[in-house]
Amino acid sequence: MKRLILTSAVFLCLNGLSFAAVDWESKGMQMVGEIVANPSAFFYDFQQDLEATTPLPPGKSFGIQTGLFPTTIPMTYLNMSGKYRLHAEGRLAPGVPQVDLIGGYWDMLAAKMATKDSKTIDSAKFGGYYMGAIVSSSVSPKIRTFWGYKHSVLAAKLKFKPGEEVDLMGTKVGSFDSGFKDDFLMAGIETPKGINKFWSMQLNYGLKTQTFSTKLSWYGKVFELGINIYPEGVLVFHPVWNMHLNF
Amino acid sequence: MKTSVWYIKKFFTVLVLVAFTLTPLSSTLSAAVAEDSKIFTPYFDMTLMEAAFMPSAGNIFSGGNINTQVGLLTKITKKDSLFGLYNFNYSGPAFQPQDSKQFTDRDMSHGFNFEYRRNLNERFRVRPGLSLMTDYSRTGANEAWKNGLYNMNSVGGQLAVDYSFDFEKNGFITATIITRKIKFPNYTDLLREFQTAGNTSETSGGLQDQSLTQFSLRPNWNGFFGGFTYTLQNYKNQEVVDNSGVYGGSKQKDTNVALDAGFRQTLWIFELSPMVSYTMHRSNQNFVRYKFLGATSANLALGNSDVTFVDKNYDYNEMTLSVPMDLNITGKWAIGGSMNITRRTYTARGARDTDNNYTSSKQKNLMSTLTGSIRKRMNDVATMRLFYSLMVASSNNKFEKYMPYNYTGNTVGVAYQLSY
Repeated sequence: MKRLILTSAVFLCLNGLSFAAVDWESKGMQMVGEIVANPSAFFYDFQQDLEATTPLPPGKSFGIQTGLFPTTIPMTYLNMSGKYRLHAEGRLAPGVPQVDLIGGYWDMLAAKMATKDSKTIDSAKFGGYYMGAIVSSSVSPKIRTFWGYKHSVLAAKLKFKPGEEVDLMGTKVGSFDSGFKDDFLMAGIETPKGINKFWSMQLNYGLKTQTFSTKLSWYGKVFELGINIYPEGVLVFHPVWNMHLNF
Repeated sequence: MKTSVWYIKKFFTVLVLVAFTLTPLSSTLSAAVAEDSKIFTPYFDMTLMEAAFMPSAGNIFSGGNINTQVGLLTKITKKDSLFGLYNFNYSGPAFQPQDSKQFTDRDMSHGFNFEYRRNLNERFRVRPGLSLMTDYSRTGANEAWKNGLYNMNSVGGQLAVDYSFDFEKNGFITATIITRKIKFPNYTDLLREFQTAGNTSETSGGLQDQSLTQFSLRPNWNGFFGGFTYTLQNYKNQEVVDNSGVYGGSKQKDTNVALDAGFRQTLWIFELSPMVSYTMHRSNQNFVRYKFLGATSANLALGNSDVTFVDKNYDYNEMTLSVPMDLNITGKWAIGGSMNITRRTYTARGARDTDNNYTSSKQKNLMSTLTGSIRKRMNDVATMRLFYSLMVASSNNKFEKYMPYNYTGNTVGVAYQLSY
């Protein structure tokens, strides 16, 4: 109730203030322009949503993960990720960090279906994979920092049949063939929120393309909720829902 | 005509970039408090802010800020330690003070600081250090990061001395001297290139390249702090434009003198951290305003002629006041309020009317921001804040063809912080 009152108070304060009219059409044109200018960057942001870039919980030796939203639904990214623990923290010697291998693959179902049934699309291929490693170390009973590397690859190809080009806000688009490939460094921090519940925050930075993102995640035994933020992306906020099982 | 914007941009870019250069140093100091008997002490601080901005004129836009600092303090002996810090900073589109950046400008920087710490005795400590930084800038045109006109690389050193005078109340004074060599590899004078199309000589020529020296003295005691900072910027190639409208022989030299004071205190359920600062910026650089490309004038001293010479165009005095307060209503939840005021008065530059004519009154800019927020402390190391800000920018400068001076803005955003 207290939460509701506080939130209401903030929005009531806003109510009396005058805002400039938002030109949504202009905003939409700008966003479409950004997608057309660099489609692979747009689709790669969704790949980052499904990438499993947090360390395995202490005591677990492997895990599987699949992205539910916004990857499988609505983007039809069928995907599977895995994690494998190479070394448990402190096993070889006190202070030696945990080391996990990570990786995953996705394929866009809509692209396959469109190619098969469409009268306008000649060919389409949207897919990608990633692989890497995460090193994690407890710095206090409540804090674990993690560091990682991942190699991410994406292919985004689409070709319309002759005469069936799409008109995007006045621009004829016949095809695009773009890819994305980069090596990322990751740094993050994890803190428990309850029994078998964690909260983490991480930064991913692409060395070649200088693509960067931050991931805020809340995860338990089965589900992970998150807000991924792509400050330079078309859609800055991605609410994320992933499912994982760790053994 | 457009040169005014370029000069303003390049000047403020330098200031902002220098601020980024210095940011890790203060963090280094704060991290020093966490020293204990361990050999390795990690330091991690990550803040993230994302917001929607609604200006009174123009369309809605989103922007944010990411700051990540990771460091490691290594205790070599009882008296000697090493501290390494990496700082990633991204500043996205946002409302900006007048005469600084466009709303759509973004900056991204990578900073590395290495510091050796030696305790001379119980009270004195010296901290020589090395700093490297790369900064990328990007405009609304979405050029690649590596092509930014104001991209910058800097390298330099520091020597800091800490003197503790009150162990019980954490009282200490820090004297620091830093030097930087700053280079802008992509910078070019676009107007010069345009005006002299057949010119084969190098017009980029490192016009922004400069050396920076800064001295600061900062006392701290029981949550109260203050400081005096003197900064000198010597431009390597940029010449000063004289009153005939051409570049003379002397090189540009800027100085900044800043005084600041504030405190961080908790009184009952109130958390207060007000701060006030006063800055005096002086430059030997002048300015020539062209109303249009190819404009000429017989008398450069007239404010309403097509070409006007403005002596000491960049000299100003600026006062900033920031009064943030949090009211802890429960152990987890707090209501916050904040007032920020930035007032800049140019000592020689006249304000311009809507037709780009200089008036007799000196230019004054004022930016006031009122913020209301709700903060949730998620645990010992993490907080989340939902905020709303109303910003009012006003100025007696009415020429707003390139930069807005008079507008209001609404901001709604969310911020997270995780710090260890």
